[in-house]
Amino acid sequence: MFLQQIINGLTVGGVYALIALGYTLVYGILELINFAHGEIYMIGAYLGIIFLGIFTASGLTQYSLFLSLSLTVIMSVIVCSAYGFTVEKLAYKPLRNAPRLNPLISAIGVSIFLQNYVMLTQGATDKVFPHVIPVTIIKFYNVTMTTLQIFIIIVSFFLMAGLHLFIMKTKTGKAMRAVAQDKVMASLLGINIDRIISVTFIIGSGLAAVAGLMVAMYYGLVNYSIGYMAGIKAFTAAVLGGIGSIPGAMIGGLVLGLIESLGASYLSSEYKDAYAFIILILILLVKPTGLLGKSEGQKP
Amino acid sequence: MIRKFLVFLFAIVILSGCVKKGEDVIKIGIAGPMTGDQAKMGMDFRNGVTLAVEEWNRKGGVSGRKIELIIGDDQRDPKQAVSVANKLVTQGVKGVIGHFNSSCSIPASDVYDRAGIPMITPASTNPQLTEKGHYGVFRVCGRDDQQGKVAADFVTRELKIKKLAVIHDKTTYGQGLADEFNKFLGGKAEVVYYGGIVQGDKDFKTVLISIREKAPELIYFGGIYPEGGLMVKQAREIGMTVPFMSGDGVIDPKFVEIAGAEAAEGTYLTFSPDPNTIPTAKEFIVQYTKRFGELGPYSAYAYDAANIMLKAIEAAGVTEGKAVMDKLHSMEFAGTLGNIKFDSKGDITVAPYVVWITKGGKFTEYWKP
Repeated sequence: MFLQQIINGLTVGGVYALIALGYTLVYGILELINFAHGEIYMIGAYLGIIFLGIFTASGLTQYSLFLSLSLTVIMSVIVCSAYGFTVEKLAYKPLRNAPRLNPLISAIGVSIFLQNYVMLTQGATDKVFPHVIPVTIIKFYNVTMTTLQIFIIIVSFFLMAGLHLFIMKTKTGKAMRAVAQDKVMASLLGINIDRIISVTFIIGSGLAAVAGLMVAMYYGLVNYSIGYMAGIKAFTAAVLGGIGSIPGAMIGGLVLGLIESLGASYLSSEYKDAYAFIILILILLVKPTGLLGKSEGQKP
Repeated sequence: MIRKFLVFLFAIVILSGCVKKGEDVIKIGIAGPMTGDQAKMGMDFRNGVTLAVEEWNRKGGVSGRKIELIIGDDQRDPKQAVSVANKLVTQGVKGVIGHFNSSCSIPASDVYDRAGIPMITPASTNPQLTEKGHYGVFRVCGRDDQQGKVAADFVTRELKIKKLAVIHDKTTYGQGLADEFNKFLGGKAEVVYYGGIVQGDKDFKTVLISIREKAPELIYFGGIYPEGGLMVKQAREIGMTVPFMSGDGVIDPKFVEIAGAEAAEGTYLTFSPDPNTIPTAKEFIVQYTKRFGELGPYSAYAYDAANIMLKAIEAAGVTEGKAVMDKLHSMEFAGTLGNIKFDSKGDITVAPYVVWITKGGKFTEYWKP
C-alpha cells in the first residue's frame, strides 16, 4: 500500500511541480506572486478538451490518436503561452515600477477575471474530457497503476529536466538568471529585460498548460474553478521548496504530492486539503526561505 | 442636450414603474444550484417548475393572477443559500420551490420560516429539515432514513454482503444518508471502513487504496454524482471490481458520463420508482420532453412541488403564508408520481424507494423492498 500511495503522490506531485515552476520563475525575476497562474492552468485544461473535441469531430482522432493528442498538446501550449504573454503585457508591465502591492492586486484581479471569463464562455457546469484515450491497468506485485499515471510522471520529470537544462545551458537561460540576480546590471550588459520577462511568462504558462491538460486527461473532469485550489497548492509547493528556486519548486511539488497522498491514507482523507496548508504554516514558521531558498539578504 | 436626456430617463423610470404596478402577479421563487458543478440539477428544477407555471398561466393564472418566477442561485453553498433566501423574501415571493441540497435547504428554511413563506423542496432528503418543527416546510421527496433503510435491506437481504465500506462527502445530505444506511445495517454486515472525502475534490485514489486493503464486498457512497462518478472511475483504475451503491444524489446521466459506462456498470442506486412506469406521469413526460428534452431525476418532483404550491394558494384564496400552509397541511394533492399528502411535519406520508441498477450506461429499476 505504501508503494501504491507513493505512485499516486508522484502523479499529483508532478503536476503540482509543473505549476509551481511557473510561480517560482516569475517570482525569481519580478518578485511578483502571479496569482493568475492557477487560472492559466485551468485554461490549459479547457483548451485540451476543446482541441481534442475539434480533432475528434474532424476525424483526426479516429485516424491517429497519437497525432491528434500531440497536436492537442502543441496547440494548448501555444494558446496558453499567448494568454500568459498577454496577461503580463496588459496587467503587470504597466505596473513594473509601482509599489510591490499594486501588481499583486492586479494579479488577483486577473485571476478573478479569467475565472469568470471561462465560466461565461464555457458554462458553469463540469466538462467531461472525451473518453478517447485507452486506459490500460498495469499490475505490478501489489501495485496497480494506469498507463496515464506513468505517462504523467514521465512527462513531468522530462519537462523539469528540460527546463533545468534550458536555464543552465542556453543563452536565454543565462540571461534569465542574470535578470533574476540584478535587473539593472543585466540591462546595462545589453540584456533585453522585457524580452526575458516575456519569455519567462511564456515558459511558465506553457508548463501550466501541460499540467492542466494532463489533469484533464487523468481525472476526466474540468470546471472553471479548478485553477484556484491547484494554484494555491502549487504556490505552497513553491514556498515549500523556496520561492524563486527552480529545483526547489520541483522538489516542493513532489513532496507536497507525497504528503497529501500519505496523509490521506494514513491519517484521514477528510482533511486532505488541510495538509498542504499545515505544511505551509510550518515552513513559514521554521524555515521561511523554504527547503532550497536563499535568504532575501543576498539580493540587493 | 443633457436636459433632454434626463427627461427621457425620467420618463423611462416612471413608465417602467407603471407597468410593474399595473400588473398584479404572484411571485414564486425557485432556489437551487443554477451554476456550479451541480448546475444540471438546478436546470432540471427550473425546467420542471417552469412547465408547471406555464400551464397555470395559460389557464389564466391562480385566481386570475399570473405567476411570475424568480430564480435564486445558491451554487450548492449553504452561505449563498441563506443570502438567496433573504433576497427572495425581500422580492416578495409568496412561496418557494427549493432548495436542492439539504445543506442549503436547512439554513434557508429558517429564513422562510421567519418571513412566513411556505417552502416545498423537491429533493432535500435529510431528516433534519422537517424535524426542526417549521410549520411551512414541506418536501415531495422521501427522507434519508427511509432511503437508507431500503439500501441497507437490499445489501443485507438481497446481496447478502458481509463486509462493506462507507464513504460520504461530509455534507448534510451525504453524511446523513451514509449514517442512516449505517444505522439500518444494524450489525448485519461489518463496516470495515467509514470516512469522508471533500466535496469538489477530484482525487479519491488515496482513500480507495486504503479501502482496497480491507477487501470490502461493496462500497456505499453518500454524496452527489460528480464525486460519485470520479470515485467509481478511479476505483476501477486501481483494479477494484466490487459493486458501488449510492443514493438519489448520484442517479443522473452525468454520473455515467463522468465515470464512463464501463466503470459505472452495475452500480446500485436508491431512488423513487421510474416515472415512465407510472400512468399519471405520462402526460407530464410528453410535455416535458417536447419542451426541454430528456427528463432529469428531479424534474417530475419540481413540477409536482410547483403544482402543489399553486393549488394550495388557489384553495386558500389569499397569498398570505399561514393560510397557504394550512391548505398544504390539510389537502391531498394529485401529483404526477401519485397522490401526495403531507403529515404534520411536512413529509409525504408514503415514500416509496426502490433500488435501481446502472446497465449499459442507463438506469433501470431493479429491486423493490
